[in-house]
Amino acid sequence: MSRPRSFRQSMAWLHTWSGLVVGWVLFAIFVTGTASYYRTEVSHWMRPELTDAQADPVAAATRAGAFLQRTMPDAAGWSVMLPSAGSPAVTVYWWRSFAGPFHHALLDPVTGERAAVRDTQGGDFLYRFHYELNLPPMWGRWIVSACAMILLIALISGIVTHRRIFVDFFTFRRDRSAQRGWLDAHNVMGVLALPFHLMIVYTGLVTLSAMLMPWAVKAAYHGDLLRYYADAGIMVAGRPPAGHPGPAMPLGEIVARAMAATGETPELVMVSNPGDAAASVTAYFEEPPGLAHLHPQIAYDAATGAELGRVGEAGAATRTGAVMVGLHEAHFAAAPLRFLFFLCGLMGAATVATGLVLWSVARAPKNAAPEGLGLHLVRILNLGTIAGLPAGLAAYFLANRLLPVPLDARAEWEIGAFFAVWVLAALASALYPRPLAWPMALAVPGLAFLAIPGVDALTVGEVRFVGFDLAMAAVGLLLLGAARLAGRRALARYPVRTRLHGTAEA
Amino acid sequence: MTVPALILSLLLAFSGFSALALSLDRHHRAVFRSPVSQARIGSLRAAGWSGLGLSFAAAVTFAGWSFGPVQWIGALTGAALAVVALIAYRPTSLRAAALAALPLAALTLPLALMR
Repeated sequence: MSRPRSFRQSMAWLHTWSGLVVGWVLFAIFVTGTASYYRTEVSHWMRPELTDAQADPVAAATRAGAFLQRTMPDAAGWSVMLPSAGSPAVTVYWWRSFAGPFHHALLDPVTGERAAVRDTQGGDFLYRFHYELNLPPMWGRWIVSACAMILLIALISGIVTHRRIFVDFFTFRRDRSAQRGWLDAHNVMGVLALPFHLMIVYTGLVTLSAMLMPWAVKAAYHGDLLRYYADAGIMVAGRPPAGHPGPAMPLGEIVARAMAATGETPELVMVSNPGDAAASVTAYFEEPPGLAHLHPQIAYDAATGAELGRVGEAGAATRTGAVMVGLHEAHFAAAPLRFLFFLCGLMGAATVATGLVLWSVARAPKNAAPEGLGLHLVRILNLGTIAGLPAGLAAYFLANRLLPVPLDARAEWEIGAFFAVWVLAALASALYPRPLAWPMALAVPGLAFLAIPGVDALTVGEVRFVGFDLAMAAVGLLLLGAARLAGRRALARYPVRTRLHGTAEA
Repeated sequence: MTVPALILSLLLAFSGFSALALSLDRHHRAVFRSPVSQARIGSLRAAGWSGLGLSFAAAVTFAGWSFGPVQWIGALTGAALAVVALIAYRPTSLRAAALAALPLAALTLPLALMR
């Protein structure tokens, strides 16, 4: 690379290389994050045993409390996610220390025992992969944050580089050279959803800001995060354990008090220091309508049920942060707007993918010259990520239906299927003959996604999953369409004879 | 926020973006097979920006000042993507689609008002 000259040229250089180094991870972050807009629907589909029957939250909370009392009476904390239309089971967590491990179980709201449901992480796996990459949490979050910061650089340098944003706003020249087509596609996907891209990367960094910039809180509170949360109006102030055991009301009665006080059913109740004389129970409510991601809370004394405090109006800075987190997660968005967010997320993934492909197309050797090692590596990583990840996703959903339900550590097997198929698809795509690599690598996940509705119909076959199955089929058709496009280009570029005897190209 | 309100916003943004696209010579040639005249550029741009403005007004009217702008930007992206797809694959039908979107928008207005 020669020395960059003008400002715009140096920005183009920055855009190209910052985009390349994090592109593959970014693609996976975009795809799993986009899928997470439908996290509840995915979890629903992957736990077909749970039906939508609404249970009484008071009785369900009391039973969950009894379950936790039996399971870990001396825990540091319990949390009980009450049944709702979105998730009909009761999800309980319990832990001995905030450093983890966090144990969890799904309970049947009617019996209070572990629900008879297949072991799976459902949509939570995709959601956590989006910001932890299935690595130890802190490692994953730091890597994702680094990628997000580099993406912010790539976005801004990309805007500077793009000389004709307004003139080329609607331009997609698919009939010119391959490089021109990929560049136009990259520009269109990037520019049309630019407000979304800037919003999502910036608000994504804000959600991790406490980890990225801990110094202010560290200096002012000497690391006492809980006191900071209380002062910022994020959480009700906690109280230290008394150190001797004390009585407790049934959990349901506290839920009943919270319902009487607000007229709403809490989403979650959390017990701090259960069994201790100073135990407290905090009820968390659904976010009120609005962009901000702030849950109203009321804390109660676990023994007497007296109100200890509640989270009132948050300050301006907390609200600003909460609006940013809210925008990122789009919990406020009803079905049609959520679909637009989903579409924008796909466009983000497409911007990254087209950028990566453009890098290799722009450097493809003319005539039959051999490709260099760097180009070869990028091309194979492109294939392995852009076509391999969808194959892994399809495998994750298929494994959920095809693995035997009583299998030990079934949730880990599903995740194993995801990674194994991803790696296999990536390796296979590296071995395909070069002109056919893209069409074949895209057709495989396309067919796998198309198979999901059929497999679901044969194994579970419930009408309420038709919408999800249709969405899977649509993804499959989209991938097959992309395979066909890539195939047509390959056919146009390589005459029949080389294709049949294609040793030179392989 | 209701579905008709979002569709109204989308349709208005689609018509607006179509007019703006047609004010650019390259797309005007692709659609009408003739260069765009100076006078036409002016009227197309005026129409285009009014379409986007009306789309914003609809979003804010029906979804309020906090959701409205978010919804409007989502609608802009969806509408612009549709315009780009039409220009690339069916350029000759862009004009008809942009014109058809206006009576459709008028039809969704009462539905949006009902809620």
